[in-house]
Amino acid sequence: MDFSPIIVTLKLASITTIILLIIGTPLAWWLSQTRVKSKVLVESVVALPLVLPPTVLGFYLLLALSPDGLIGGLWSNVSDSRLTFSFTGLVIGSVIYSMPFVVQPLQASFEMVGKPLQQAAYSLGANPLDTFKNIVLPLSLRGFIVAITLGFAHTVGEFGVVLMIGGNIPDVTQVLSIVIYDHVEALEYTQAQNYSLGLIVFSFIVLLITYSLNKKLMVRL
Amino acid sequence: MKVAYKKKLNDFDLDVEFEIPDIGISVLFGPSGAGKSSILNLITGLDDNNRKTQSSYFELNNQVYDDSSKKINIKPWQRKISYVFQDSRLFPNMNVLENIKFGYKRRKSNLNIDEVVDKFKIRSLLNQFPQMLSGGEKHRVAMVRSLLSNPDLLILDEPLAALDYQSRQELLPYIECIHKELTIPIIYVSHDIKEVLRLADYIVIIDKGKVVDKGNIADLCIEQPLMTQAEGASFILQGKVSGVFKNESLVQINIGKEKILLTDKNLILNQNIRVLIHAREVSLCLNPPESSSILNCVPVIIEDIQNDINGKLRVVASLSGQTLVAMISQRSSNQLNLKKGSKVFAQFKATGMIK
Repeated sequence: MDFSPIIVTLKLASITTIILLIIGTPLAWWLSQTRVKSKVLVESVVALPLVLPPTVLGFYLLLALSPDGLIGGLWSNVSDSRLTFSFTGLVIGSVIYSMPFVVQPLQASFEMVGKPLQQAAYSLGANPLDTFKNIVLPLSLRGFIVAITLGFAHTVGEFGVVLMIGGNIPDVTQVLSIVIYDHVEALEYTQAQNYSLGLIVFSFIVLLITYSLNKKLMVRL
Repeated sequence: MKVAYKKKLNDFDLDVEFEIPDIGISVLFGPSGAGKSSILNLITGLDDNNRKTQSSYFELNNQVYDDSSKKINIKPWQRKISYVFQDSRLFPNMNVLENIKFGYKRRKSNLNIDEVVDKFKIRSLLNQFPQMLSGGEKHRVAMVRSLLSNPDLLILDEPLAALDYQSRQELLPYIECIHKELTIPIIYVSHDIKEVLRLADYIVIIDKGKVVDKGNIADLCIEQPLMTQAEGASFILQGKVSGVFKNESLVQINIGKEKILLTDKNLILNQNIRVLIHAREVSLCLNPPESSSILNCVPVIIEDIQNDINGKLRVVASLSGQTLVAMISQRSSNQLNLKKGSKVFAQFKATGMIK
């Protein structure tokens, strides 16, 4: 069995999740705090990947990432490589595709912590950053676990967007879902079975760990 | 401490201006929805919806926290104001000890943690998490947490409102204890006249976003129906319990050198108390009646006679140096030939009083 699709998939999901946490945390925090009216606009844009067929998203990403596109054009100024059919392009696509799965649980858990506790912290002399670190973050742990799990798992399960912008280059952009599709196309059911069953077991274990961790935290809080 | 704010609220415009003494308990008194919480949110800087604030000024210890004319608006975490919230707001991710150290670590209090912990009897709770505590315990912890954050002003927002009777009775002495031991001013928000009488030194009455009346509680001849829950004037006598008659449910209270009786089961000997009496329940006579069902009859000297509504007269008199007010009719006044300096007797029932 060829392990490279597994490695590419895990690498893609890990990097995507880390980037999403870095971008998504401040974004979710802003969404949870702001009173500006344009908030709903941002919320809708973030949620778009939830409703769009991955092929639609992939199609526009392909246009944007191509050397003549918006992102691809900027990229060509700093690098000789191209974004389409590259691992970097795949990461950009995955970040956009999995964004709502990270931002939404984070926003919900920040909103759950709520203004009252923040106000209490302010009145005891803690500035907003201090309050975020010592009150909001610890109380949002469950939200982070959900966000990390969903972001990671959703990227692992990605198919349409990858197919559109990443193609099927072994060792570079060939992820599990695509390999499985290829094997089925070629009527190689045994190989497809190996990967598929592995993915089911892996996903199940990840979710199991997440939910039991979540339950433990719930008891504590 | 100077407070002056103008702000558009949803139902009415807030427009208040008052000064509060820099020591003692000042009560912001008024019905629910009168704008008390809005004032607190402005004072503490927690109100982050500045767009509707038309003008603001707030000064504490000669330090200006708000001044819209100079565009001063100090951030809430930079104001040395500690807020004990109605719902206590302990941090659920920290145990009691971590909670009370939160402000202490950030603002360097001179208070000794151990002393305060013992005074508020929370030592046995230190390792527990807030979810395990009763309502009264949460409030005690919240008060300790606020005290230890070294505030220049302590705000208590209806700390007793969410508690049952028993917990209230338990908590009141702790609030009085803060009052005695700290030299910082306290703003106490309440809509309960009993709490006001027990705790207040100074009172600001708020209704529909405006200051209705203000002054020292002892000087204030209270005419706010919303406060006394009765029409017309009322007055307050300060005294000390000098006798307890359990069988008769009566207590004797010394007002200066005079003694009055009051129906009460909970007061204890030597307790300092304030008594609120409605002026319309006080009658005047030239000589003490030889036999009467009215227990209280004390000598007073008339200081002023004013016309009141409905053709009634308001007689202001001095009882052992304290102010007493009686509402009587024009005819009674003529019959008794009352005038300034007259020495008469004031009668009122022991039951006609609110503690």
